[in-house]
Amino acid sequence: MATQSVESDFSWEVKANSHHCHKDKLKKSFLCFHWGRYSDNVVRSYKYSPLTFLPLMLFEQFQRVANFYYLLMVTLQCVPIISTIPWYIAMIPLLAVLIVRGLKDFANDMARRRSDSQINTRPCDILISQRFNAARWKDLCVGDIVRIHKDQVIPADLLLLCSSENHSLCYVETADIDGETNLKYRQALDVTHSELTCHPSEESLAAFDGVVFCEEPNNRLYIFRGELHWQGQCHLLDNEHILLRGTVLRNTEFAYGLTLYAGTDTKILKNCGKLTVKKTQMEKVFNRLVIGIVLGVLLIAACLAIGSCIFSSQVMSLTEDLYFLVVNGNPVYTGFIAMWSYVLLLSPAMPVALYISFDLIHTVHSLFINWDLEMYWQEADKPAQARNTSLNEELGQVEYLLSDKTGTLTQNRLLLRQCCIAGEIYGDVSISAEDMEPMDLSWNPFSCGTLFMSAPSLVENLRGQQCPLSSQFFKALSLCHTVMAEWKEERPVYQAASPDEEALVGAARELGWVFLSRTRDFVVVSELGVTRQYQLLALLDFTSKRRRMSVLVREPEGGLKLYCKGADMVILERLQKDIPFQERTERALELFSQSCLRTLCVAVRSVPEASWEQWRKTLTRSATMATCDRDALLEKLYDQMETELLLLGVTAIEDRLQDGVPETISLLQHAGIKVWVLTGDKKETAVNIGYSCKLLDADTRLLEWQELRQILQAPDPRVSFHKARQTEVWAVDKETARPKTAVVLTGAELVEFDQRPEWGAKFMSLASQCESVLCCRVTPGQKADIVTMVKKHTSSVTMVIGDGANDVNMIKTAHVGVGLAGVEGGQAVQNADFALSQFRFLQRLLLVHGRWSYRRISTFLRYFLFKTCSFALVHIWYGFFNGFSAQRLYETWFISLYIALYTSYPVMCMAFFEQDASAENSLKYPELYKTGQRRELSSPLMLSLSLVYALYASLILFFIPYGVFHDTAFDYQTMAVTVSMAATFTATIEIILVTRYWTKFNFSVVCVSVLLFFIFTRIFQSSRLFQNSPIDFFFVGVSEKAFLDPVVWLTALLTAWVAVLPSLTAHGLNIILTINNTHKVHSMSTQPVELKSKFSRGSFGRSSFAISQGAGAGRHITSATHIHSRDPPVDKKSQLE
Amino acid sequence: MVKEEQPESVNRPDNTAFTQQRLPAWQPMLSAGIIIPGFVLIGLAFIGIGVALFVTSRSIQMLEMDYTGYEQNSPCFKCSDESVKNCMCNLDFNIDTLFKGPVFFYYGLSNYFQNFRRYGVSKDLDQLSGDMDAFLDPTSDCAPYQYDGNNKPIVPCGAVANSMFNDTFKLYQIVKGVKKLVPLDGKGIAWWTDYNIKYRNPTVKPLKNAFNGTVKPLNWPKPAYELDPSDPANNGFINQDFLVWLRTAALPNFSKLYRRITEGDYAEGLPAGNYSLEIAYNYPVLSFDGRKKVVFSNVSWMGGKNEFLGIAYLVIGSMCVVMSIVMLIVYAKFKFPEED
Repeated sequence: MATQSVESDFSWEVKANSHHCHKDKLKKSFLCFHWGRYSDNVVRSYKYSPLTFLPLMLFEQFQRVANFYYLLMVTLQCVPIISTIPWYIAMIPLLAVLIVRGLKDFANDMARRRSDSQINTRPCDILISQRFNAARWKDLCVGDIVRIHKDQVIPADLLLLCSSENHSLCYVETADIDGETNLKYRQALDVTHSELTCHPSEESLAAFDGVVFCEEPNNRLYIFRGELHWQGQCHLLDNEHILLRGTVLRNTEFAYGLTLYAGTDTKILKNCGKLTVKKTQMEKVFNRLVIGIVLGVLLIAACLAIGSCIFSSQVMSLTEDLYFLVVNGNPVYTGFIAMWSYVLLLSPAMPVALYISFDLIHTVHSLFINWDLEMYWQEADKPAQARNTSLNEELGQVEYLLSDKTGTLTQNRLLLRQCCIAGEIYGDVSISAEDMEPMDLSWNPFSCGTLFMSAPSLVENLRGQQCPLSSQFFKALSLCHTVMAEWKEERPVYQAASPDEEALVGAARELGWVFLSRTRDFVVVSELGVTRQYQLLALLDFTSKRRRMSVLVREPEGGLKLYCKGADMVILERLQKDIPFQERTERALELFSQSCLRTLCVAVRSVPEASWEQWRKTLTRSATMATCDRDALLEKLYDQMETELLLLGVTAIEDRLQDGVPETISLLQHAGIKVWVLTGDKKETAVNIGYSCKLLDADTRLLEWQELRQILQAPDPRVSFHKARQTEVWAVDKETARPKTAVVLTGAELVEFDQRPEWGAKFMSLASQCESVLCCRVTPGQKADIVTMVKKHTSSVTMVIGDGANDVNMIKTAHVGVGLAGVEGGQAVQNADFALSQFRFLQRLLLVHGRWSYRRISTFLRYFLFKTCSFALVHIWYGFFNGFSAQRLYETWFISLYIALYTSYPVMCMAFFEQDASAENSLKYPELYKTGQRRELSSPLMLSLSLVYALYASLILFFIPYGVFHDTAFDYQTMAVTVSMAATFTATIEIILVTRYWTKFNFSVVCVSVLLFFIFTRIFQSSRLFQNSPIDFFFVGVSEKAFLDPVVWLTALLTAWVAVLPSLTAHGLNIILTINNTHKVHSMSTQPVELKSKFSRGSFGRSSFAISQGAGAGRHITSATHIHSRDPPVDKKSQLE
Repeated sequence: MVKEEQPESVNRPDNTAFTQQRLPAWQPMLSAGIIIPGFVLIGLAFIGIGVALFVTSRSIQMLEMDYTGYEQNSPCFKCSDESVKNCMCNLDFNIDTLFKGPVFFYYGLSNYFQNFRRYGVSKDLDQLSGDMDAFLDPTSDCAPYQYDGNNKPIVPCGAVANSMFNDTFKLYQIVKGVKKLVPLDGKGIAWWTDYNIKYRNPTVKPLKNAFNGTVKPLNWPKPAYELDPSDPANNGFINQDFLVWLRTAALPNFSKLYRRITEGDYAEGLPAGNYSLEIAYNYPVLSFDGRKKVVFSNVSWMGGKNEFLGIAYLVIGSMCVVMSIVMLIVYAKFKFPEED
C-alpha cells in the first residue's frame, strides 16, 4: 500500500463492506453539538421536531422586528400605570398573527417531511452478508455495496465496481444534474471489472475489501479524484468511475457500486444550496421604514415626556392641590411614565393589522396567479402555481432574468426539419412542426411517425432511386454516428450520446434507411427494406476541436467508403474542387442558419484500397505510441483521410424552442429586463439557441473570454469596453442601431472570478451595458454563484427560471425562483417560488401579475402609512393641550376598529382589484413595467412623502377641531367623536382618490365602511353596552348627541377636506400636467410590440453548427461490441485497435 | 383560451370574471374639464356654507365677563385671596338692547386641564352608577382622593369630583334701583344620558343612609346628598351641576353651562338695562394661573357663537377657487405651449 498517498489530500477514507466501522462514525447531533464524520443517507429538509416546534417557531417569529415590537407593546399595555388602551385590544391581533404564521410554518414543515420520507424510503439493494437485500435509501451507509437496477435512481455517490455490461460499462442519464438528457458513459476500473465479474457476483462483492481514499465531500460535479487500494495495489480513480446520486441508470441491467458519499455529503446535495427565507425588496425598505417609524415614535414620545416633566414641575410649584397630577410627587418619574404611555398611544401608527393585511393581499395575489387561465396549460392540466406567497410585488421589479436553457427555453427535442441534397432544399420551416401534415410513410415498416419534414419529392426520389446522391446522403446518416440500437416491440429504439445524432438517425429511419444494429465490426442497415451489412473499418471520432466525425466502411459489394459529417466550415474546406452544387449548398446553409437551424454537412469519399492499407498500417503503429504523440498523429492521420470529400448535402436540425420563447424574450427585453442564459450545455449550442430565441441577432457582437479578460484586466473597464464596441466591425449601421454586445462565458472561465473578486463589480458594470450574457458549461453551484454575483453588485431584482434539479440552487439563490413544471422531474418546482408550465407564461406572470402586484402593494403601503400615521400622530398635538398626559383623543374602541373595520376593507379591495392598465395593455406596452424596476412607487422618497403628508393630515385633524371647540362648552367626548369622524372621512376620501378601478366590491366596501363607523360608534356608545360594562363603554350617549349636531358634522367635513386637499391638488395637477400620458395607456392605438422577423444575419461567418456531444463516445462503441447482448455473441476481449 | 371543457381538466381554473380579474369596473377618466370646475364648485359650496355660518355666528349675542379678580380694580379682587372664606362679590353690567332668549348662562375656566389623563380617570364609574360596594372600596384610580386621612372612603372619590366648580351666581336686574332676581333654570342642563343612564344614585332611601361610613370629598362644603337643598331630587350623583362638571372639557380653556334663563319675565330674553351678578366666590384659580368668567349667550341652529368655523370655511372655499384658477393657468400653459 502506498502510504504516502494516504497522507496527501485524499483524507476521506471508505472501506468497502465494513458497515459497522462506518456506522459508528455517522454524523450525529444533539442540540448544537455535532460529532461523527460520515453522513447517513437520510434527507432532512424539515426545520422543526415536535419538541422544538414551539420555541423555534416563536424564535423565528420574534426575529421579525415588527413582531417583537408588538410583543413589547402588549407587555407595556399590561402595566396599569402606563396602559392607555385595554391590553386585550393589542393582544388579539398579535396572537392572530402568531397563530396564523405558526400554522403556515407547521403545514410547510409537514409537507417537507412528507417529501423527505418519500425520498428516504425509495428502494435500493444493499449487500449484506453475501446477499443483496431490499432496503430503503435511508438505510444506506458509506462503505456499503449496492446493486442498481436499470432505470433506478442512484441513491448516493457510488464508485462503479462492475456492471452487467461488457467492460463494466454503464450508461447514466444526468438530466437532474446538468440538464442534458443524453446518456453518459461510466466505466469501472479494469481491475474491479475483471476480478468481480468472474465469480458469482454476490460472493466476490462480499469479499471485496478495497479501501478508497478520496477528496473530502465537495460540490464539484465534474471532478473526482481518489485512489482505490486493493490487493496491495493503488488504482487512480476519476470522474469516469463515479455514479452520482440523482442520476438514473439506463440501458444497463445491473450496476454494482461502493458508496463513497452518502446523504448530505453527496455532490448533488452539496450543490443544492441552503434554503433561505426570501424577503422582498419592498419588505426590506418597509422594514427599514418600520424601524424608522418606531424610532421616530420613541423620539417623539421622549420629547413629549420632557414636556410632561416640565408641566409636572410647573404644577408642583403652583399648588399642592394638584400634586395628584404628578406621579409619586416626582416630575421625572411622571415624564418617564408619560413617555411609555405615549409610545403606546402612538403605536397604532404601525399596527399589527398592517402585517395581517400585507399577508392577506399577498395570498390573494397568489391566488390570482393560480387562477389565471392564461397561465393554465391545457395539455398537462397544470395551472400556474405561486408556491411562495410573499414575493408577488417582486415580480413587478425584475431586472435580470436568468434562464436555464434545456427544458426551459428549448423543449430538448431535436427535429430534422430541412435538408439540402445536391443543392435542392427539402422541407419547409415556415410551417411549425405541429401544424405540419405528416407524409405518408406507410410503405416503411420501421416508420414511427416522428419525421417533421415534409418533402414528398424527396420520398419519390428516394423510392424511385432516381437520385443516387439522396440515397448516399441517407446512407451516410444511417452509418456515420455512434448511436446504439435497442430493440423494443420489433422496432429499433436509438440511444445516443448526442440528441442531434438521434434525430438524424431517426430521420433516416423514417425515410427508409434504417440503422438496425451494430457490432464492433459491422453496422447493419436496412436500405428501403434490403438489409445490408457494412464492415466498420474505422471510426474517426468527434472532438470539439475537429468538429466532425467520419466512418470508414467496406460496402457489401466490397468498395471502401468514408462517410463524414461535421460543421459546415470544416467540411467545406475538405471538399473536392469544382463540385457542382457548392454555391447552392452554401446558399442553403445561409438560409438554414437564418432560420436558426443547426446545420451539419454530410460528405462522402471513395477510398482506394491501397491508401486504406497504408493508412491502416500507420494507425496500428500509432496504438503503441505515447498518448500525447499519438493524439497528434491521429489528428494528422484523420486529416489525411478526410480529404477530397464529395458533398452530399446539409442537414438542418431544429432545436425545438418552447412555445413563444422568442416573443416572450423580446417582450421582456422591451420591458427592460435583461435575459441571461445559464446552461450546462456547450457553448455552440447555447449560442445557437441564443440566436434562435432572438436573444442575439446578427448585429450582436459576441464578447468572448479572451477579450473580456483584457477588458476586465484594464484599469478602467468601461473605457476599454467602449473602445471594443467602437471598433466593432458589425456595427456599420450606426444610425439605426447602437452596437449590441453579448458576453459568452464558460464555466471554466468563471472559475477565475473566484480568484479575482474585484472582477465581479467590473463584470457587472460591463454586463449591464450588454444585451445579454450566455454562460455555458456551468455547474449548478456556478449558476448560483452567477446569481449571487448579480445580486451582490447590483441592487436589481433577479429572477431565475429553470426546470431541472441542476437549477435548484440558483432558484433558491435568486430573489425570485421560477420552476418550469417540465419533463426533468419536479425538483425545480419543489424549490421554486412560482411554478409555471410554459416559458411564455412568464410574460403574463411578470408584466401583468407582477406589475399589478407591485403597483397595488406599493399603493397599499403608502395609503396604509398615511391612514395610520395621520390618525395616530394627532396625539402629539393634543399633548400640548393636555399637559402631555398621554390623553387619548379617541375612544379606545375607535382606535382598534378604525384600523380593523372602518378603513381596512376599501384599501384591501383596492389592493385586490386595482388595475391602472388592463392585462392586454400591460402586455401591449411593456415599457409600463419599468416603473417597478425604477421603484418609482416604493422609493424611500415616496414613502417619506406619504409620512410627511400623514403628519400634515394629523396637524389638520387636530387643529381644525381645536379651533372650533376651543373655549366652548363642547366636552372632551364630543371632540373625540368629531375627530374620529374626521379621521374616518379623511381615510375614506383618500382611498376614493387612490382607487382608479371601481368594481362593485370597491363601491360597496367604501359605503359599508363609512356606515360601519356610524353603526358601531352608535352601538359602542349605547346604554345597553354601558350597563353591561361601564368601564369599557363609558362614551355612552355621545354619538347620539354628536351625530345630530351640525357643528360636529361641519367640523368633521371641513377637517377631512382640508386634510386631503394636498393629495387632491396633487392628483388634479398630475392629471392636468400628464393629460397626454394618461390617455396614452388607455386610448392610444399604436401598434403593439411586434417581433421583427428580420433575418439580416448576412455573414456566413457564423456557423450554426452545434452538437451536444462529448468527445470520445466512439471509443466505447469500437470497444464495447454491442449495446445489447440479445444479438450475436460478443467478443469479450475486444480492445482498442 | 376558448377550448372545450374536458373532463380530465380537473385543475383548470374557473373562468369567472373574478378569478380572471376581469371584473367590470368603472375607471373614472378624470380630465381638466372635470377637475377645474369641480374645484370651483366645491370652493363655492364652502364659501356658501362659510357665509351662512359666519352670518349666523354674527347674529348670536354673547356677553363675556372675567371675574377672576386678577386686577386690583376688578370687583372680585378682594376674593382672589384664598384665605378669604365665603367671599361674595358683585359684577355689574348693562345690556343695551334686548338680549334675545333663551339666554344661556355659562361659567368659563381657562388654563384648567380637565383633559389631563390622570385627572380624567380619577373617578369611580361603579361608585357613580350607584354601586354600593364601590362606596366602601373606591377604585385606586381615585388616589389620592380615595380615602381621607382617617382611611375612610371618599364618596364620590377622585380628583374630578373633588375639584367640582363651586362658585354660585345670582343674577339681578336693577330696575329703578331695586334688585330684581332673574330666575335661573338649573334643570336639564346636563346630558340626558348622563342624568338617566350613566350616573345613578344608590337605591337606598333616604339617600343619606347610603353614604354611611364614607366621607365627602375634601374640598366639598357639603356631602353629595345635600348638594341642592332646594330640590331633593337634584342630589347625589345626579345633581345637574355635578353632572356638568363630570363631563370633562376637551381643552384647557372651556366653558360649562350653568343655568338657562327661560322663565317668567325673562323668557323672551334679557331686556336692556342694568344687571348685577352676585357671585359666591369659592373656587380658587389664581394658584394655577387660571381665569374664571361668566358668559351669557343665546344660541342658533349651530349652537353657541363660533366664528372660527365660518371663517375656516370661507378661507378653504376661497383657497379651492384660487387653486382652480392656478390649475386653469397651468392647464392653459400646458395645453397650448406654442403660445409661450
